[in-house]
Amino acid sequence: MKYFIAFLALLAPASAVLGNQVALDSEVFVERSVEQDDGAVTVTLEEPTRVVPGDNLTFVLTYENTGAEAADNFVVTNPMPEAVLFVEAVDGGAVYSVDGGTVFGALNDLRVAGEDGAERPAQAVDVTHIRWTLTEPIPAGASGQLKFRGVVR
Amino acid sequence: MKRMTKYFVSVSGVAFVALAAGPAFAAGTNAGSNITNTVNVGYQVGGVAQSGIAAANTFTVDRAVNVIVAEMGNATSTVSPGQDDAVTTFDVTNETNGYVDIALAVSQIVGGTAAHGGTDSFDASNLRIYEDDGDGSFDAGDTLVTFLDEMGNGETRRIFILADVPLGLATGSVADVRLTGTAREGNAGTTGGAVGAAISATTGGNTSGVDTVFADTDGVFDGIAFDNDDYTVQAAALSALKGSTILGANYPISGATEFYNIPGATVEYCIAVTNASGGANATSVAISDSIPGTTTFVASSIVIGGSAAIDDNGTPGNTADDVLTSCDNSSGASGGSFASGTVSATIGTVAAGTTEIVTFRATIN
Repeated sequence: MKYFIAFLALLAPASAVLGNQVALDSEVFVERSVEQDDGAVTVTLEEPTRVVPGDNLTFVLTYENTGAEAADNFVVTNPMPEAVLFVEAVDGGAVYSVDGGTVFGALNDLRVAGEDGAERPAQAVDVTHIRWTLTEPIPAGASGQLKFRGVVR
Repeated sequence: MKRMTKYFVSVSGVAFVALAAGPAFAAGTNAGSNITNTVNVGYQVGGVAQSGIAAANTFTVDRAVNVIVAEMGNATSTVSPGQDDAVTTFDVTNETNGYVDIALAVSQIVGGTAAHGGTDSFDASNLRIYEDDGDGSFDAGDTLVTFLDEMGNGETRRIFILADVPLGLATGSVADVRLTGTAREGNAGTTGGAVGAAISATTGGNTSGVDTVFADTDGVFDGIAFDNDDYTVQAAALSALKGSTILGANYPISGATEFYNIPGATVEYCIAVTNASGGANATSVAISDSIPGTTTFVASSIVIGGSAAIDDNGTPGNTADDVLTSCDNSSGASGGSFASGTVSATIGTVAAGTTEIVTFRATIN
């Protein structure tokens, strides 16, 4: 299994931009449940070398401020891959979109059109995007992680 | 170093990537599909928006091989002794996340409790496997097959097993049969040709390509699934009794009240056909009876239908000691024929658990 780590410039450079100040990494792991001799079940995270439909995944987003100055208004947006059903955010504070990233909000506040055309409350499986907005600046040299879980369709 | 982060809830923002509607596959995302997760970050430094950055990773979905064979109808197939082309129905489903061929085999189960109760007691013959043409029932459009070609992700096809039932079987005889489906390599949906090669699970560690694992629902991880169905015989068990009654005598004494089997006397013969209860209705039942050479058939005296009284000698179910005690043909109808000393009559259907009679008359020479 190979990882393709891409750093893409999505926005036109503004003035006073000194290259990327933030390093970003996206990883995914497969959750393996192993029953121990005493009957307890432990879940380990493995590299996604063997993944089949129905497997549980944990997505880990790692960021680090590699610049000399604090980064603020830090907004992390992750569209759900189409072959992955969103399950839950491991780290709190996330907001969600169920309409392809147009409107974000708490899942309880969102509604989607059901199969019968009538609106119904949104559920985890409806999530198309997950977003975290950090409230405090990331000091120079600081790093952190954000995680969420999904399942392979 | 790590730092604690705090969050606030934002309900504004710009979508970076539009989501395409994912194709829905019954058995999951196709093997070989790449799942790419992309994360986008926007931030400011010193109050100035910086270039957005993105990070992505991609992994490949492996193949989980799973085949389902399911008997349909949840009931035995009722057959008659000697019946050809008796049909049982199965559905075969490819729960693999990709194309496979499914090799089919049908086998006889010997002994043991059959799929729908009873004990397997005979083998049907001439077992054949047909693939349905899509209408769900067996007909001339269906195809004799040995495997299902290019079963798609989540696809189900209907299979019929045809069998011939031997003659001479008693009601309640059961033949249990098993349809086994084995996943074989597909050809990416291109049909034609022979069944694909055997599938083996990836061993010796994961690879970067598409690995194969067996994910059998039945818990035996081999890409093989089976189910049983059975044929149960409903036979008709016919028995016949014959009796005779002297009706009247050309006796020289007028006013006689007792009749004797003397020349000139008329005898009514009764043939009672009984179909034992618990079996099948017997249809197209016909009788023929040669009259004694010392009697003369009374023209047009054949009557079909009526009722009979039978003494079972205290052993219901054992017809060997039954005795016909009387016949009443008053509800019958004329019919039958007589030729070359033989009476012939067609009773038609004798329902299980009922008795039908035929009567005719002859005079003693």
